[in-house]
Amino acid sequence: MPKLGMVIDLQRCVGCGVCALACKAENNTSNRANGQSHNWADFVLKTEGRFPNTVHLVMPVLCNHCSNAPCVENCPVTPKAMFKTPEGVTMHDQSLCIGCQACQASCPYSNLELDETSLSGETYSVISFNAKDRTTQPFWADTAEMIPGCTASAVETTKRAGAASPAMNQFAAGDVQAIRKPGVVEKCTLCYHRTSNGMQPACVEACPSKARIFGDQDDSNSAIAKVLRAQKSMRLQEDKGTRPNVHYVGKYSARA
Amino acid sequence: MKLTRREFLRVSVVTAGSIIVVGCVSLPVTSAMEVRKARPAGPAKGVWTSTACQGCTQWCAIQIFVEDGRAVRVRGNPLSKTNHGYVCPRGHLIPQQTYDPDRIKVPMKRTNPLKGRGIDPKFVPISWDEALDTVADKMMALRRDHETHKLGYLRGRYSSTSNALLYGTLPKIFGTPQYFSHSALCAEAEKMGPGLTQGYFGYRDYDLANTMCLVAWGADPLASNRMVPNTINRFGEILARGTVIAVDPRLSTSAAKAHEWLPLKPGTDGALAGAIAHVLLVEGMWGKEFVGDFKDGKNLFVAGKLVDEAAFSEKETHGVVKWWNIELKDRTPAWAEKETLIPAEQIMRVARAMGKAAPKVAVWMGPGVAMNPRGTYAAMAVHALNGLLGSVDTEGGMLQGSGVPTAHFPKLDAYVDKIAKDGGHHGKKIDGRGEKNMPAMMGAKPGSGVVTNNVANGILKDPGAIKVLLATWNNFNFSATDPKRWDRALAKVPFFVHMVTNASEMTQFADVVLPATFNSSEGFSVITNMGNRHGYASIQQPVGKRLWDVKQEETEVMWLLAAKLKAKGFSNLFDYYSKEFKDPETGKTPTNEHEFAEIAAKISSAPMWMPKQALKGDKLEGWADFRKKGMYNSEAYPFKKNWGGKFKTVSHKFEFYSETAKKGLADHASKHKTTVDDILAVSGYVARGEQAFVPHYEPPKRHGSVAEYPFDFIDYKSRLNREGRSQNLPWYQEFKKVDAGDDSWGDVLKMNPADGAKLGLKTGDTIKISSVAGAIVTKLKLWEGVRPGTVAKCYGQGHWAYGRVAAGNYAKAEPRGGNNNDILVDDYDRLSGATARNGGFTGVKVQKA
Repeated sequence: MPKLGMVIDLQRCVGCGVCALACKAENNTSNRANGQSHNWADFVLKTEGRFPNTVHLVMPVLCNHCSNAPCVENCPVTPKAMFKTPEGVTMHDQSLCIGCQACQASCPYSNLELDETSLSGETYSVISFNAKDRTTQPFWADTAEMIPGCTASAVETTKRAGAASPAMNQFAAGDVQAIRKPGVVEKCTLCYHRTSNGMQPACVEACPSKARIFGDQDDSNSAIAKVLRAQKSMRLQEDKGTRPNVHYVGKYSARA
Repeated sequence: MKLTRREFLRVSVVTAGSIIVVGCVSLPVTSAMEVRKARPAGPAKGVWTSTACQGCTQWCAIQIFVEDGRAVRVRGNPLSKTNHGYVCPRGHLIPQQTYDPDRIKVPMKRTNPLKGRGIDPKFVPISWDEALDTVADKMMALRRDHETHKLGYLRGRYSSTSNALLYGTLPKIFGTPQYFSHSALCAEAEKMGPGLTQGYFGYRDYDLANTMCLVAWGADPLASNRMVPNTINRFGEILARGTVIAVDPRLSTSAAKAHEWLPLKPGTDGALAGAIAHVLLVEGMWGKEFVGDFKDGKNLFVAGKLVDEAAFSEKETHGVVKWWNIELKDRTPAWAEKETLIPAEQIMRVARAMGKAAPKVAVWMGPGVAMNPRGTYAAMAVHALNGLLGSVDTEGGMLQGSGVPTAHFPKLDAYVDKIAKDGGHHGKKIDGRGEKNMPAMMGAKPGSGVVTNNVANGILKDPGAIKVLLATWNNFNFSATDPKRWDRALAKVPFFVHMVTNASEMTQFADVVLPATFNSSEGFSVITNMGNRHGYASIQQPVGKRLWDVKQEETEVMWLLAAKLKAKGFSNLFDYYSKEFKDPETGKTPTNEHEFAEIAAKISSAPMWMPKQALKGDKLEGWADFRKKGMYNSEAYPFKKNWGGKFKTVSHKFEFYSETAKKGLADHASKHKTTVDDILAVSGYVARGEQAFVPHYEPPKRHGSVAEYPFDFIDYKSRLNREGRSQNLPWYQEFKKVDAGDDSWGDVLKMNPADGAKLGLKTGDTIKISSVAGAIVTKLKLWEGVRPGTVAKCYGQGHWAYGRVAAGNYAKAEPRGGNNNDILVDDYDRLSGATARNGGFTGVKVQKA
């Protein structure tokens, strides 16, 4: 069995945002609401030092698909809604999820509710929760017309486009539906619907700087294994003992 | 509130051991990693369709993934030698822009005759037939009264080929000189740098694959300017193998990653460039293969000493010793430190790094250098470093642009009748180009450059000059500095037709609004550009079904309008389109607007897919192959292309002493029967005499006294701006934080914490930013990425119209954040006609609101 993981080369990364946008397009994640970012891929941003010795750092973040995943450990249902696949993906079965958010609460890389500090990239969540009893695509449920009779509405646009959201990416669902239902959590699947079919995750494929390498860490000939051998790498919050499978190499700023 | 609930829960997990509490539900906690197979899943089914982006001026060849007629995802065209199959974040916003819920879905007309900011136009829907009838009637009235010259046309974003069907045709066949491009609002001044030194008034290319030293100067090419995907793609390699230097008064996204950041005082770029040139010469580090050397090999460039011109033997350049004697000999790093606030030591270090890497140095000069009231000379000073380093047209250096073979549309002369001819030559253009204080000498030809932002002043000066105004894909009431002038000017235009996708600020002044296709996913044209040593053409074609009753402004609307004019007795435009445009394969003429669009696209691109002789670039098997592949790449740009006296300057050399500028200025002075020094004085430059002909430092011009307006204001562009149109997209707002220092869903003024402490201001405060031009209200962020005494804010937010996300409140015309243009003064780099927006030319004060 492969041991899937990802390396993000911070020297190559330019913090452009493409990975996060490509993820949203691929996985139909909704807009930020109720303290939930719905960004399966996001960024930690930091500006350090005093002018002119200022350093600005960007770190793309996503679910770490931990080998020792607290979200799986703490999922209370049987069988678990949050589970590990044999390839190492931390996967979520929505049909089993009871929306207790224990996964989110126990994940060192998530917050139950994000506040404004997430808008400047201080905090983030890799697990988001879809509120109970309301649509998970609220932006597209708005019937308001800005200029009545002249401009469109979200509902009319959606209806004419003929999908749950006009640009919906209708992938074939396994455990995770193309659009999630209310009352369940959602997170990165390493684009399981793509990667289980020989494709790269959307964030990897779209990255213009080729900063992301996805693959089998146990295959010594894989690009990811080679990079991990050749370069010093780090993982987020190693002290938590989660054994993340997302690694970082290089440094973002040449002046850091 | 930060993390508290989670922290509480985490504590609960630890202390309660087997019980965690969320809400009111108590649940047992298990501890095992459960491993099981995932259910099978599969990728979405669809087709990648080729088209072109046009979210910035690079106009990338792209592909859109189409599922059931819906535009879903975006990538660069995998065949592109310029973007390598990638798009920057802008490209990924195309589906959101296509399906913007605030798209105008039908033509509309104004029912409230009152016009002004905040006045509801009371638009009502009308049919295309009624809309075009109304427009044609207004135009026919001008013709009947022999006033065709009172038709105006303002061009915004356009297609590089079908542009000729509207901008290039309508004014000529109808008969008006009053047609203007948007171009001078954001970039034209930088063209003067390469223009007056190497005769190339265009955007440069850079051989990033081979460069050893990239100098991003007043440009943030990881985020904006040009070739963003290529730069993102190459940047990490350049960092690894060479040196990256960022010259920018704010910590840009490029500066964040660079080895050297030079946060100079805004507007002092010419001083820094002069000092770098000084060091390169004194230390003998200039590119000798390009520039030449002293005849006896001994370097006579010694600080403060004049040099005998006869002692130096130049190769591909003209006037290096003159430049030294007139400008550079005293431009020591110590002198420059006082002007730029960059330590002399860092100037030396950077100059040496550039010299060491020469000629594989790319000095990438951008609008931050040039778009200020004395920007032409700053642009020359910075660009001239490429000449001095010998990097012009060299491997790893700075290159001129590459092109592709396209065909012009048929000749239209036979369709220009006497009324049109008279109208076309009636009076001067109202943008003031060529007036004594507005040389606008693009191409070194005085009076040839557009002065876009001055059109508003022209209308205000002579409100009768334009009776019918057409405008496409522009929003000058938002995008031009001091936009209140545009509010006043457009309120005076009796009949204004706006062709746009969204009800923008400018649209609020329209009498008739024609809903435009969103061309990246719905238009049909051929788009050309260049980058990474290749010219290219990309098809732009509809990738999915159109949801609304919208039409493409340059093709479909022109055809339908021409038909209306014909029905009302003026058939020349329709006759030209319908008789002269012939399908290059079948010879068939168009019978409707859609055929017209396709035939026009075929005519312009035929030389690439139906070449008369084999081309050196891509091989295409005809029109269908071009549409499918979506693009044509030219052969690679040949290094040293213009060496050997082939530069298009007066001397045919790279001119450090610009005979080209000298001739242009002399022509303009002679037209106005005065001296070059007088022209310079009335146009606001400080140079006199010979200094006017060499790249040199002009101290920054500033509106507002330092006493009253203590901060230099820095305006910059977002890496998510699709030319000021993307702010209505939730993803723009959500990821605004990817602009260094910015906040998502917000609009922050960045101020150094030391200044904040002095003023008693803190992050999150609501503040008022005022200048002599106006004031805006937004949030403050204390940030170490700007120098004390400067403040920076991104351009893009501050819409009071456009849509539900962009505007704070559309119905009440309340903005979200502030529009930088509201505080920027209406001023120009008069040698180019470009609008000033950079270089600290506007002083501001910041107070708690």
